[in-house]
This record gives sequence, C-alpha cells and structure tokens, in this order.
Amino acid sequence: MLKGLLAAGLSACFLWSTAASAADTDLFRGKTITYIVATGPGGGYDTYGRLISRYLQKYLPGSRVLVRNVPGAGHIVGANTIYAAKPDGLTIGMFNTGLIYDQLLKREGVLFDLTKFGWIGKAANDTRALMLSNASGFKSIDDVLRSKAPIKFAASGVGSAAYNDTKIIADALHLNAQIVPGFTGNEGEMSMLRKEVVAEVGTAESMEQFVKEGHGYFALALSGDPTALPGVPRAAQYVKDDRGKRLLALLETLSEIGRLTAAPPGIPANVLAAERQAFDATMKDPQFLAEAKKLDLDIHPASGAQVEVRIKAALNQPPETVAALRAAAGGG
Amino acid sequence: MHLDVALSSLLGLLTTPRLLFLMAIAVPMGIFFGSTPGLGGKLGLVLLIPFVYNMDQLTGAVFLCAMHAVVHTGGSIPSILIGVPGDGPAAATALDGYAMTKKGQAGRALGASFGASTIGGLLGAMFLGLSLPILQPIILSFSPAEFFLLAILGITFIATLSGNSFLKGMIVGLFGLMCAFIGLDPSTGSPRFAFGQLWLWDGLSVIVAVLAMFAVPEMISLGVRGRSFDLSPETAAKLQDSGQPAEASSRKVSYRQIWHGIWDVFQHKWLVLRCSLLVAAIGVIPGLGGDAASWMAYGHTVQSSKHPERFGKGEVAGVIGAETGSCAKEAGSLLPTLFFGVPGSSGMAIMLGAFLMLGIQPGPTMLTDHINIVWSLIWALVIANIICVIMLIAAAPWIGKLGSAKASFLIPYVLVFALLGCYLFGGNWQNLVLVLAMGGLGYLFKRHDWPRAPFIIGVILGKIAEDSLLKAIGIWGASFFWRPISLVLIALIVASVGFYLWRARRPAVVPSHA
Repeated sequence: MLKGLLAAGLSACFLWSTAASAADTDLFRGKTITYIVATGPGGGYDTYGRLISRYLQKYLPGSRVLVRNVPGAGHIVGANTIYAAKPDGLTIGMFNTGLIYDQLLKREGVLFDLTKFGWIGKAANDTRALMLSNASGFKSIDDVLRSKAPIKFAASGVGSAAYNDTKIIADALHLNAQIVPGFTGNEGEMSMLRKEVVAEVGTAESMEQFVKEGHGYFALALSGDPTALPGVPRAAQYVKDDRGKRLLALLETLSEIGRLTAAPPGIPANVLAAERQAFDATMKDPQFLAEAKKLDLDIHPASGAQVEVRIKAALNQPPETVAALRAAAGGG
Repeated sequence: MHLDVALSSLLGLLTTPRLLFLMAIAVPMGIFFGSTPGLGGKLGLVLLIPFVYNMDQLTGAVFLCAMHAVVHTGGSIPSILIGVPGDGPAAATALDGYAMTKKGQAGRALGASFGASTIGGLLGAMFLGLSLPILQPIILSFSPAEFFLLAILGITFIATLSGNSFLKGMIVGLFGLMCAFIGLDPSTGSPRFAFGQLWLWDGLSVIVAVLAMFAVPEMISLGVRGRSFDLSPETAAKLQDSGQPAEASSRKVSYRQIWHGIWDVFQHKWLVLRCSLLVAAIGVIPGLGGDAASWMAYGHTVQSSKHPERFGKGEVAGVIGAETGSCAKEAGSLLPTLFFGVPGSSGMAIMLGAFLMLGIQPGPTMLTDHINIVWSLIWALVIANIICVIMLIAAAPWIGKLGSAKASFLIPYVLVFALLGCYLFGGNWQNLVLVLAMGGLGYLFKRHDWPRAPFIIGVILGKIAEDSLLKAIGIWGASFFWRPISLVLIALIVASVGFYLWRARRPAVVPSHA
C-alpha cells in the first residue's frame, strides 16, 4: 500500500515536472529567437553560433532561432547589444570571454556588466598554450626563459583578448618578449613560416594544425585541462611571484569558459531555465556532437549556473590583480 | 605539376551533372549579387553559407566558388550602364565604362568588360594552376615590408588618377587616407577619429566608401537630371545631326557592339596578359587584398598607355584593364586561403569560414592530400567564368535596357539595395547615415569635377600601408628597406613617380578621371 502510494506520488511528481518543463519549452512556440554572434560571418564564433542555434531551435519546440552577426569593436558591440536587449529570452548570443579583461580594465565603450547577464551555458574550453616555431632555435621553454635576445611574438591587435593573453604570459614569466601586434587569423603562423617571429600565444585548438604539420610545437600549456596537452610543461611551475600567479589564475578562469551563450540581465527565471535546459540538451545531442566533430569544434560544455559562478569569480579580482593586468596589458 | 590530377578534376566537374547544375544556379546568383549595388559578393557568400551546410566538401566549395567567381563580372553592369559600382574593384570599371555609355558605347563597354573578365579569369586561373609547385615559396617571400611598399606603389597611382588637377586629386586622396585611419590605432589599441562612436572602431568600410562616392552621387545626379541618360554633349550633338533620337539609339545594346568590345580585348592582348599576371600575383599575396589588385591593374593600364589623357573619358582600355584585374585576382586570392588559411581578399575571408564549416582544413596538406579539391576549385572558377560570359552575352540586349530605365525606378532600386547592403553587412544603422552624408560630399565632388577615384585608393591602401609598416618596423626596424624585394619595389615606386613627372612635363597628356 505504502509502496503504491509512494509510486503514485513519485509518478505525480514526475508528471508535474515533465508538464512544467513542457510548458517552459512551450514558451517559445511561434516565437523567433535572435542569436547574436559578436563577429562577422565565417570564423569560429560564427560556426559555433550557427551550429548551437540550429539545435536550440530543435529543443525549443515551435521556435525559430535566427543568427544575426553584430560585429564591431572586438565583440564589445555584440555584447552591448545583447545586454541592452529586452529580457524576454528572444535575444541571446555569443561573444568572446576576453571581454572579462575589458570590464576589469574599464575599457571605453563597455556598457555591460558581465556579472548581470543571464548565463545559458558554455560550449568549449579555450585551452591556451605558447607555441614555438621549429625554426626558432629553441628546444624547450627553458631556452626561451634563458634567452637574452628578444623573443618575437606574433599577436593580434593591441587591446584584443589574444594580445592581452600574450602580454600577461610575457609578464608572468618575465620573458624578454618583443610583441609584434596586428596579425589576424593564421597570419601569425604564416609570419613564423617566413621566420619573422618565433612564438605565439593562442588557443591550443587554433594552433594544433600548425603543430601537426610539423612547423611548430607546444612549449608551454598555460591553462585548461592538464590532459589536453600531454607531455607539455605547465606554466604554473615556472611562475614564481604573486603577481604572475594572479595573472595566470585569471587566464585559467578565462580558459574554462569558452564559447559562452548569454541572455540580457533581468530575464525571467522560467525563461532562462527553459533556455538553459535546451542548451544542455543540445550539448548532449549525438547529432550535434557528430556535427561538431566533423567541423573540428571542441565541445566541453558547462551549464549556465556553472558559468555564472565562474564569471563572477573571474571578475571578483583584488585590486592587485587588476593593477597587474593593467601593468601587463596596458589600460586598453 | 599534377597534370593527371588537373585533368581528372576537370573531367570530374564536367561529368558530374549535379555539380554542373549547381554551377549553373550559382552563376546567375553571383551575377545578381554583383550587379545589385550594395549587395556584392561578400553578402552573397554570407547568405548562401547556410545552404551549403549539408553539402559534401567538394559540392559546397564548388558552389560557393562558382558564385563568387562571377560577382565582379556582374558588378561591371551597373558600373558601366549607370555609373554605380557595387564595390572597390567595380569602381575602377565605372571610370571609363560609364564614360563610354555617355558616348553611346554601352554595348562596346559591356563587351569589353565581359571579354576581359572572362579572359582575365581564365588566364589568372591557368597561371596559378601552372605555378602551383612553386607557389608556396613565392607566397612566403612577401612579408609586411613588401606589403607596405606595394601599398605605397598603389598610393602613387593617386597622382596618375588625379585628372585635370593634381592638387584636387591629392586633396581627395589624402582625405581618403585620413578616412582609412578611422578606427582603433594599431599601435595603441585606442580609438582614433572615432568621436566616441563604437561603430567607428572597425574603421570605414570600403563598401560604404564606394557607395557614397559613386552610387549616391550618380543617383542624386539622376534625380536632378530627371532621366536615366547622361549623354556627353558631343555625342548628343552627333546623334542629333544624324537625325536619330538620341535616347533611343544610345540606349540600344546590340550584339554587334558587344562583339566590338570583345574584339577590343583581343586587340589589347598584351595589356590583358600583363594585367592578368600582375593581378594574379598580387592576389596571391595575402596582406594586400583583392581590392588593391584591381586598382593597381587600372593604374598600370593608365600608366602604360600612350594616351593617358583619354582615360576617364571613355577609353576602352580602361575597362579592359580594370575588368581583367577584377577577375584575374580571384584564383590568386583563393590559393593563400587554401594553403595557409590566410585569405587573399575580403571575400575570401568569408569563403575561409565557409571552407572550415565544410570541413576543409586549409594548410600545406591541400597541396599533397587534397590537391584534387584545389584543382576542382580552380576549374570551377574557369567554368563559372565561361558560363557567365555565355549568359551575359546572350542577355546583353536586355541588360542594356537597365541603362535607359526610368529614374523613378532606378533611384529607389539602387538606393534601397545600397542601403540594405550597407546595413546587412555592417549590422548598424549608423552606416546608412554615413553613406548618405558622404554621398552628399561625393555629389559635390562630381558636380565640381573633383576626382573621386583617389578617395577609394586612399581608403583601401591607407590601412594596409599603416598596418604593414608597423609590423615591418616591429620585425626588422628601419632595416626592412634593405630587403632585396623591398629594393626592387622602391625602385618601382621611384620609377612610377618619375614617369608621372616626366609625363606631366609634356603638354596635353594630363588624364582626367571621374
């Protein structure tokens, strides 16, 4: 009897929760959701954004999810646009985690507060590494650390997230680095082939092809999953002072939360929950995973709640870390 | 040389009905995107990318390449018939093409354009196909030092394209250079000339500049005139003397005129060959960009002509040089995209994203493991060009009617698409205000006979010159001037300026440009 009641109760709870969940996903029936990608068409963010948006549509029945590219000012325009959108769940989107630097440095043009976004989830890890060209003459990171001659690094534009990563690492490791900025996409690697520069800091994913082709090697793993780059020494063992450790910890946090999807602040809890649920389902969808694999996209998901915690931790930096960041990267 | 792979790839394309069918669809799409001012090839690629998502690698890549290959040929139509180019390279065609239309030679200009772009496309593709084995070292021998000097060489063409007044040309060119510096300062990362506006952080788009300097002024001018036609006074008088109604006879594009234009291309065979090779070589060097390549071809055409004074007034060689340049660069810019993942032009930057989506991983293995894809794409460019010219020649008499379309149709059509294109590509409404405001300035330039081409050159090359200079100094310091290729380029710059000055001393040889 008791067992029967318990079973009935559990069934009722299950049915209630299923009904609630169905009702939540039903919130979007007949609605169009705009998924903002903060870059122009083509490229990594656009590829992730278009793939994720197609599957969100699948898990938010009756909805249409359309991608809108809102490029500009190194993702700031896209993030500002999402932040200022009506918080009804019909405008969500993706931008670079490197905007954490911009907020910490209070960069001009930043109209958002990352701690207030409604976080839906993240799709990937952006494991950072320092890559050396095979023609550099350096056999290991120890050679680089001992180098008296300046080491030429290729980096993207001054003020960009990738440039800041390079500056942070150079500062934390006390490298005798000479950073040549302004390289976009694979131009830095091409410059390595021309023997103009010898090193680059970036995501391991973006540099993997160059390494596979035998032109370079990962000399130092800066952040991310220790198993991602087996046999590669980790930066933590070379960073001795507090300032360096703080900067490396910040970089570590950024690496854990790549390819984020966010909603504007003030989004109703049930709407956010429905979108988080659809995002989580997307990340587990075998078809989605197969497509991502075909496109060579790293998938290391985390829920919106986890992202929220990490973003708040990343932005909750003591003044010393912000000062260290400002000293390393410049005021932006 | 992979002759067997080259031939099997060609056979593969020709014997696969699905690929031929897709190319036959892609070509008119490319013509549409190219010929509608404001839309252009880049937006065409963006809109078509979702459709190739589920195609296999080869099919998707061939479809997009075929569409992109003919965009510039399509773009020559409004440039010639109504003086409204859709992008940077097409603006070079408009200079002489529209002047020919005003002289009642629209058909000849179209024929020259179709012929030059097809032959340029073919020669560019063949040249690059043949040089595949040595392409990698060639590409790698050009560095930011050479990009900077090539950009400076291009900037020296401002003098050649300054028209009747060198001073006016320099003022407009320097204004263009100044506009190129809008955005984030590459050495500090701080906004420059952005006036607190985030949307200006990424600089002035070339599309906005071209539409503002050509599309908007032509439409204002059309509105003021109240008719689509703008015959030169001499042509109008000549037609009146012969007793023909000026508009009816000048608007007509006959097959005879088209063949005349195509024949002109063969008569300028050395120019076509030179421009094709020059532009394919420039296109292959990532860092300079396809927009610059077309202007350099046009600049070379004017500079190497015995009659530079005729350019900008309806000289058929101007159309031939510019069009050869526009189309020959496509294969050139495709190859660094495939071999290094570094796009050779702005259109190829989007194509690169599409390739990655299709699972084509650019890199040196393209030359070894995926050489069949490389050859298939080169052949796709060639076949698309051939399909395109057949379609355009067949439809030429109807296309010619665009030139006599009523102002009440043409003005809203051009302006709506131009503004739509500006908005869709940049994603911000402020560009619409900018294009209209700068368009007003462009109209004043046109009305008071100030050259507009130097502005476009300044916008395109200013940014390249600055970025490359900073990189070159960062890598070598001032010693980059002593690199062997740099010395050759410095000699070319000196020769270009010296040649201009020598010519300027001779009377009645000052070229004039729109």
